Amino acid sequence: MFRHTALRYAALGLLASAAVFQAFTADYFGLEILTEILILAMLVLALDMVAGFGGMVSLGHGALMGVGAYGYALLSTMGGLAPPVAMVGAVLVSGAAAWVIGAICARSHGIYFIMATLAFGQMAYSYVFEAPIFGGDDGLGGIVRPDLGAVGMDLNDSRTFVLFCLAALALVYAAAVVILQSGLGRSMTGVMHNEQRMRALGLTVWRVKADVFGLSGMIAGLSGVLAAQHILYISPGLLSWTVSGEALVVVILGGLGTLVGPLVGAAAFVVLKHEISALTTYWHLVVGVILIAVVMSRANGIFGWIEARSAQWGARRSADPLHISQTEEARSDA
Amino acid sequence: MKRTILAALGLATGIAMPAAAADDIKVGLLLPFSGVYAALGNEIEAGFTLGLDHFGAETEATFSVVSQDTEVKPPVALGKAKKLILQDKVDVMAGIVSSGVLGAVRDMVHGAGVPLIVANAGNDAATGMDCSPFITRMSFSNGQVNRPMGTWMQAQGINKVYTLAPDYAAGRQMIDGFVETFTAAGGEIVGQEFTPFQKTQDFGPYLAQAKASGADAVYVFYAGGEAISFVKQYDSFGLKADLPLYGAGFLTSPLYVNAEGPAAEGVITALHYVPTIDSPANAEFVAAFVAKTGRVPSEFAVHGYDAARALVEASKTGANDRATLAAALRGVSFDGPRGQMSIDPATNNVVQPIYVYETVAGDTGLTQRVLAQLPAEADPVNGCAMPAISN
Amino acid sequence: MAIDLGFWTLQALNALQLSMLLFLLSIGLTVIFGLMHFVNLAHGALYALGAYFAAWLAAYGGFWLAFLLAPVAVAGVGVLLYSGLIKRMRKSGPMAQVLVTFGLIFALLDLTRIFWGDLPQVLDAPAMLDGRLAFFGIEYPTYRVFIIVLGLVVLAALAFVLGRTQIGAMIRAGVDNDAMAACLGINVEKLFFVVFCVGCALAGLAGAVAAPLLSVTPEMGLQILIPTLIVIVIGGLGSLKGAIAGSLIYGVVQTFGAVLAPQLASVLIYALLAAVLVIKPTGLFPAKG
Repeated sequence: MFRHTALRYAALGLLASAAVFQAFTADYFGLEILTEILILAMLVLALDMVAGFGGMVSLGHGALMGVGAYGYALLSTMGGLAPPVAMVGAVLVSGAAAWVIGAICARSHGIYFIMATLAFGQMAYSYVFEAPIFGGDDGLGGIVRPDLGAVGMDLNDSRTFVLFCLAALALVYAAAVVILQSGLGRSMTGVMHNEQRMRALGLTVWRVKADVFGLSGMIAGLSGVLAAQHILYISPGLLSWTVSGEALVVVILGGLGTLVGPLVGAAAFVVLKHEISALTTYWHLVVGVILIAVVMSRANGIFGWIEARSAQWGARRSADPLHISQTEEARSDA
Repeated sequence: MKRTILAALGLATGIAMPAAAADDIKVGLLLPFSGVYAALGNEIEAGFTLGLDHFGAETEATFSVVSQDTEVKPPVALGKAKKLILQDKVDVMAGIVSSGVLGAVRDMVHGAGVPLIVANAGNDAATGMDCSPFITRMSFSNGQVNRPMGTWMQAQGINKVYTLAPDYAAGRQMIDGFVETFTAAGGEIVGQEFTPFQKTQDFGPYLAQAKASGADAVYVFYAGGEAISFVKQYDSFGLKADLPLYGAGFLTSPLYVNAEGPAAEGVITALHYVPTIDSPANAEFVAAFVAKTGRVPSEFAVHGYDAARALVEASKTGANDRATLAAALRGVSFDGPRGQMSIDPATNNVVQPIYVYETVAGDTGLTQRVLAQLPAEADPVNGCAMPAISN
Repeated sequence: MAIDLGFWTLQALNALQLSMLLFLLSIGLTVIFGLMHFVNLAHGALYALGAYFAAWLAAYGGFWLAFLLAPVAVAGVGVLLYSGLIKRMRKSGPMAQVLVTFGLIFALLDLTRIFWGDLPQVLDAPAMLDGRLAFFGIEYPTYRVFIIVLGLVVLAALAFVLGRTQIGAMIRAGVDNDAMAACLGINVEKLFFVVFCVGCALAGLAGAVAAPLLSVTPEMGLQILIPTLIVIVIGGLGSLKGAIAGSLIYGVVQTFGAVLAPQLASVLIYALLAAVLVIKPTGLFPAKG
């Protein structure tokens, strides 16, 4: 189950203040990068919820993000709905899609679960790629951002939009914590550790999995909506399995099952990618080597490593049992 | 009318300011240097650099170039375009290989009023429905390359054709362009198939269908890796003898034709450039490109070369900032490696001759024999209502 | 359209040819999984390496040298990967191993670009396989017949080794229960090593024989990865029978899907995969254990 430790609070505080500071001081390109980080952070948060706390490693979250993006675009442009209504609609649609996928895949485990989610994701990708209504390979433009003029905000200003994304991410993070600490979230973690026991206790396992997967899908969908509003243009590439794969890499890089770690991972990944791709077009090689190094180090990602170090330090100082159990839990989650 | 006034104004201010001599024009290159089209990105960049080297001295302006890798991903490309426009404050952008990327940056470029010289992406809509006074295309449009071929093939006595192309926007536009003129000339399409884009590696099933269709010839559009697989497999099934292969010239592009090998011999295709065009301008370009890269230039290289030349021509009129460059680019015309070319002010698309060529064995590998030069035709307006330059 | 028996024979051969190519790839992947319980996502990248090595070697010694040496070279890469990475990851759980191989995809993709550039490489089929064979009233490219025969030969050889030899019995024991196999005195580590390298060699072989048929590009490894994964998941991970069945199903669905329902061609195989996983969550022929 997810618990906030002092370290996690500190990391959150640090991340949030860095983001706010950046949002007010960065130049144009800095804001772009920050927006990218915030949107990716939301996607990997959704993935960590199911992968880190439910053992459901999904290669379909990129597609769910895409469903959110396309849902918003279609509902707001062709559907003629007001942007806020279209946002809610798109989030609900991706949540529903995720629930169905979660329900169908609930019986599969491990690599089979990965492949099943991959199959659904690729199905959506192929369909969108070829369907003329979605603009096919060329994608869709003409997307608008919600008008928050009523509260004195102009979302077409990139600084305001960054703050909008930041607020959304904060809300989503809080929601994820509430979900994971609720009965539902605890049941899911129980299922991950011992599915048979939970079933014996009278739990409807597939419902639990589908429900959390659906909620996670809503978050992924919201990240897609924000991505569509950010770039004001969407293309089928959003749904491709490589997006899901990258999200998974970010979760691992940050620290699976720590919720805070993936946020760190998202920031590290985006900054790293921009820095390296500015230097060389072979940035895949660098990212690949870093990924291998992180996994080989046997730490649970960047944040997992920090947690383990600080726990060691704490144990030496006071032998505080709580910290040790915390890192052990993080390890076993991995 | 307002357009011409603005263009004239741009011209006038340019002339009025001799200080323009010290002008540095900042150019942003938006090309894929990684991902499936990395080879194209490098080829276009090589052509562009060569073009600036060649013609740069003709203008008093100097150019500084910033390159950005689009990775062929529309969101990435859009981010890079924003960086070029807002942070690097470029005066003009050039490049763009895929139509998806062009679609993604279109509104941004149009809204910010930054001139963009398209150096590849052929999406018909970019100089049709979605045309913009800031977007000038120096490469080709999908329909433009294929339309003349429909009439030409019919005139060669080919009446029944089977078509194949990848299932995406460009594939459909290429084939539609051909079908339109071929059927108008009295030809018949006996079968049509669109194969899953970038997912089809084995064309066997489609080739068997083409064979069974009773067609006189097959007309296809494939590019890059798919073109190589297709041409090799077409030959291995022994279809070339009874069922000659025609297509859009990207199929046997000089960039890929050597990987196709003897399988490409005898394939007849149409394109806006082949390295064997017999003209002094082309001979000079080919010699310079070979000296620089050791390779014969492809149509992609000439896109970059002519994009650079168009930029130089525009700056020769005195244009030196976003608005004046945009206006001047639309009036560019010159006699280049591709022949006489100009920009159609109604759509901002390039007007250029189309060459029908056959791939034949030469002294040093495969080469291109030009069979016919089809006259330049401006694209239909396609719903383009060109707005005036408004900043 | 003059569609007759010959047409369907031709398409059946196309399906078989695709199946055999996928079989060469999936068999290595599935046996590695069966023994070591992790999915080597870099298998596709090794296939691409096989094609690149083959194209490179063929420039010196022709197709047959490439055909023989490319799998050896890829097996050599396998040795490096195993001793450098995989072996050290043995105790870190399957997820970590999957991620290491995911990182390898990225790294190998760019390494091929650095060594061979972005332009496609060339490998031509040898002259003796260049023509067409006429049988059953149809003509079929000799090279494709060669792939089908090669696939069948490898299949027979593997069936013999796994079913009739001592090392085969050891591998089967390891797949069923590696802890018990170790107790019985089988050197499981050594077995892993051998199987991993043979799997890599088969991937390299698949790349080498696919090269004259397709174009050798840096992305070819990524393009083949998903089909290969689909094959082994449909068939059941770790099962030889599953790899055969999965390859045949994939080849047939892909080929006849393209003919009979072209609009659905790209969605069809994913729908089938989803359906299989719903009905049989561990594939059609799950390995015991």
